[in-house]
Amino acid sequence: MIARVLAALGAVAAVTAPLWVANPYHLHVLIMAGIFTILALSLNLLLGYTGQLSLGHAAFFGIGAYTSALLTMPPLEWSFWVALPAAALAAGLAGWAIGRLALKLRGAYFVLVTISFAGVISLVSVNWMELTNGPLGIPGVPAPSVGPWTLRTKTAYWYLVLAMAVLAYLVCRRLVYSRLGRALVALRENEPLAESVGIDGTHYLVLAAVVSAAMAGVGGSLYAHYTRFVSPEVFLFSYTVTMVIMVIAGGQGTLAGPVVGALLFTALPEALREAMAWQWQLLAYGVVLIVCVFFLPRGIVPTVTGAARPAWTEGGLFKTRRGSGSRE
Amino acid sequence: MRRSMRFVAPVVVLFLAALACYQISGAQQAPIKVGMIQPLSGPVAASGNYVRMGAEIGRDWVNAKGGVLGRKIDLLIEDNKSDPKEAASAAEKLIVRDNVAVMICCWGSSMTLAAMPKVEEYGVPLVVETSSAASITRRGNPWVFRISPPSEMEAIGLESKLKTLGIKKYDFLAVNTDWGRGAVTAFGDILKKNGASQGVVEFMDQSATDLNAQITKIKTSGSDTLMVTTSVEQITLILKQAQEQRLERRIVTTGGSSSPSQLIKHAGPAANGSYHVLVFLPWFPEAHPDAKLAKAFVDEWQKRGFPFDGLTEGFRGHDAVVTVAEAIKIAGKDERRAIRDALWKVNVMGTNGPIRFEKDGPAGKESGQNKPLIFLVEIKDGQLTLPKMQ
Amino acid sequence: MEQLLQHLVNGLVLGGTYALLGIGLTLIFGLMSVVNFAHGEFYTLGAYAAFAALALAGLPFFLALLAAIAVGALLGALTERALLRPLRGHSIDTIMLVMIGVWIAMQNAELLAWGGVARSIPHPFPTAPFTLGPLNIAPLRLFVVVTAAALIALAWLLIQKTRLGTAMRATFQDRDTAALMGVSIGRIHTITFAFGSALAAAAGALLGPVFLAYPSMGDLASLKAFSVVILGGLGNLAGATLGGLLLGIAEELGAGYVSSGYRDAVGFVAIILVLLFRPAGLFARAERIG
Repeated sequence: MIARVLAALGAVAAVTAPLWVANPYHLHVLIMAGIFTILALSLNLLLGYTGQLSLGHAAFFGIGAYTSALLTMPPLEWSFWVALPAAALAAGLAGWAIGRLALKLRGAYFVLVTISFAGVISLVSVNWMELTNGPLGIPGVPAPSVGPWTLRTKTAYWYLVLAMAVLAYLVCRRLVYSRLGRALVALRENEPLAESVGIDGTHYLVLAAVVSAAMAGVGGSLYAHYTRFVSPEVFLFSYTVTMVIMVIAGGQGTLAGPVVGALLFTALPEALREAMAWQWQLLAYGVVLIVCVFFLPRGIVPTVTGAARPAWTEGGLFKTRRGSGSRE
Repeated sequence: MRRSMRFVAPVVVLFLAALACYQISGAQQAPIKVGMIQPLSGPVAASGNYVRMGAEIGRDWVNAKGGVLGRKIDLLIEDNKSDPKEAASAAEKLIVRDNVAVMICCWGSSMTLAAMPKVEEYGVPLVVETSSAASITRRGNPWVFRISPPSEMEAIGLESKLKTLGIKKYDFLAVNTDWGRGAVTAFGDILKKNGASQGVVEFMDQSATDLNAQITKIKTSGSDTLMVTTSVEQITLILKQAQEQRLERRIVTTGGSSSPSQLIKHAGPAANGSYHVLVFLPWFPEAHPDAKLAKAFVDEWQKRGFPFDGLTEGFRGHDAVVTVAEAIKIAGKDERRAIRDALWKVNVMGTNGPIRFEKDGPAGKESGQNKPLIFLVEIKDGQLTLPKMQ
Repeated sequence: MEQLLQHLVNGLVLGGTYALLGIGLTLIFGLMSVVNFAHGEFYTLGAYAAFAALALAGLPFFLALLAAIAVGALLGALTERALLRPLRGHSIDTIMLVMIGVWIAMQNAELLAWGGVARSIPHPFPTAPFTLGPLNIAPLRLFVVVTAAALIALAWLLIQKTRLGTAMRATFQDRDTAALMGVSIGRIHTITFAFGSALAAAAGALLGPVFLAYPSMGDLASLKAFSVVILGGLGNLAGATLGGLLLGIAEELGAGYVSSGYRDAVGFVAIILVLLFRPAGLFARAERIG
């Protein structure tokens, strides 16, 4: 019940945000939080539900950003509304490649392949000057336009990001409660058993990887058209780390966890910027992270909402779908 | 009624008197806010901090002389964490939350490029103090004014000295960033124009420490000169590793930011015989048009205990603050559009030399570009010398 | 041909230190299953500790190296006791997140303490290189290779031949049985982590004088260490040694003959290929520690 009320309040607050947010800077933070929500949700699909940790997620984000940017710049100058799904497609393709290559592996090995993949993509973006303009980056990425209006103002962009975030959430929800979702959870909890009843592990994991990557690609496209500048820094490992923090600290395997994590860890660096001199900000960030993990090792949302139910129970918004099995 | 009137009148008089005194003294006036974004953490934290230190000296000197328009300058410093996304966020915060009248940013070209849409969106003048990418002043952003030289300008500034160096064939070793690649193009064009042929061009990652592979390749090229564009740390490594591999070649570094005295300290004898393109010479302040100012800056820097090696970058912070202060003075108020218009009229002396902006970029939307002086120094027997060709 | 030999020599020297980093991590990651993203920070710590000992305390070079190793071991033990032990039994992701926090905190503490300026670490070796025909190798680098080899041999001896080593291997093979046999599980975990961190610090102290010490030097080191661990197989000491050498040589040859811009890609591609075709590591044997 409380969950429903909270969710409703959140929805109202989100939709009316431009009205009550104090100044454009805060709206900027909200927009970034929205983009990262999409990214965190996408990572959560892979991490929280399949149990496989992808530490190369920034690669999908970056591929989406570059694809969208390149398609909307001269000489192609396609519309944003074509570039966005194209970005999702490109990233999804990369996700498929990773899935097919890597998902015969599990655990730590999968982690390392994803890191390596992201590393290679990053180096390609820096060195392949003809395509990506290398380290000089792509400045002047156009803002999206709806007919004659350009979505240049923050308010307009906020609604775009909000719409996309809600869409992402709904997609995740649909997936999790579908046959695919149940198959994924079964695979996560006990793979040999699941396979013995006919669930093809690799097939479902690849599917999850594709959707997860495509969603991250959407996040990348939104980012590119908001900041209007794309450079190889989008492949920085720190972006992946940020997403991982958001998912795990927020609560993996829940639907609300990534949302909470994204909001919190987008706001945190900005809050630290206000609160203390630049020398101490990052140190404080690291300490906050350690403390958070220490006192809330299962993540914020699962801890706040209480006990973990058995994995197969149909849960609500905040219920965790993570069982007691540890993943090695 | 009459009684209260008798009470009110003196109060009103007192109030008016106080108000008059307040206006006359002007001491309580709010400071003028100037924003500054630099990489204060991350891989290039040292450089960002040097610029910050120079800016702080500039600010303190301006304030010591009474400030601008009778008001002190308040320097609001933000960290862009060597990340373009953070640069954009920091710009947003300074412009919207802190209401700065003008900004100085961002050291790295990609950080500056990421912040530029913000200054155009909100209409805030931006003084670029270090970034070297040509595109910064060519993007048609009329709010951008750069005091540092893009690579082409550096190369042209070096042209006159090239004849004396007598370069017949050169190799290039550059950091794989916009800066390094821009330098390869810019200096390459000038060198080829003066009859030199190009040998091997190699790049290295910003964080690479082992450059032996590249040096091994360069060794067999048959060139007489190796041009190097990268940070002072990597130049140190190149010098040391070149010596270890017995690469007997004249080395010329560009970029203007690396401090040769740091090279002497860390690379020792490996640094001898190398040349360095610089924009500020703390060892030879007399080479600058306002020698007294240059010397005073060097002295103040050392008095504050700042590392001497940072001077070759720190001066940019000072000159940026001086430029901003002058623009505000000309504008007569700390209003953004007025300051931007005033920047075109700035003609002030910085530590490097005179600062004046010329039009650069597409017609109607030009940015401002300064033409700083370029110098060449040589390291001989562990000492820095100013070759006679100047 | 001359170039090839020089590239090989360069690669071997670098590979020795990669091996050192890899062995430390293979113990921590392979045996303790801790995804230690802070491994590179212990490498950085070693470099700065050596700097402090040499430039500030004025200790002789070899003593400074020992001091750096000791500092690495101490901080490693502390980290394990304070952060990892209370979280034992939690999921691998939680522990990984804590190590990420440690990584961020340590790197920025270094930045605060030493500033962003790179430090040059003084050393007593002459700078003129030894020349063997077309090959050049600096005395310092030779020292690094020899010391790395010695440390690797010491590590191997410890693990294989001492009671402590046997206890470590037993703990990670079968914890409950080891406990029944009287092994103090908590102590073994602390010692293992401390040992791995000490090796990383040693690598930092050795490479610091070759290159420079700066706060972000550990980032690439962490990733390379993970490459080495995968190449050699988790928990496989000999594999990590050979893997480190291989990685060093592959990088040098790649940078020399393919493209210097893609140098670091070699490590990544190596991981991908190995994991696809030989996931147990190139040098997997029937019998492994963990």
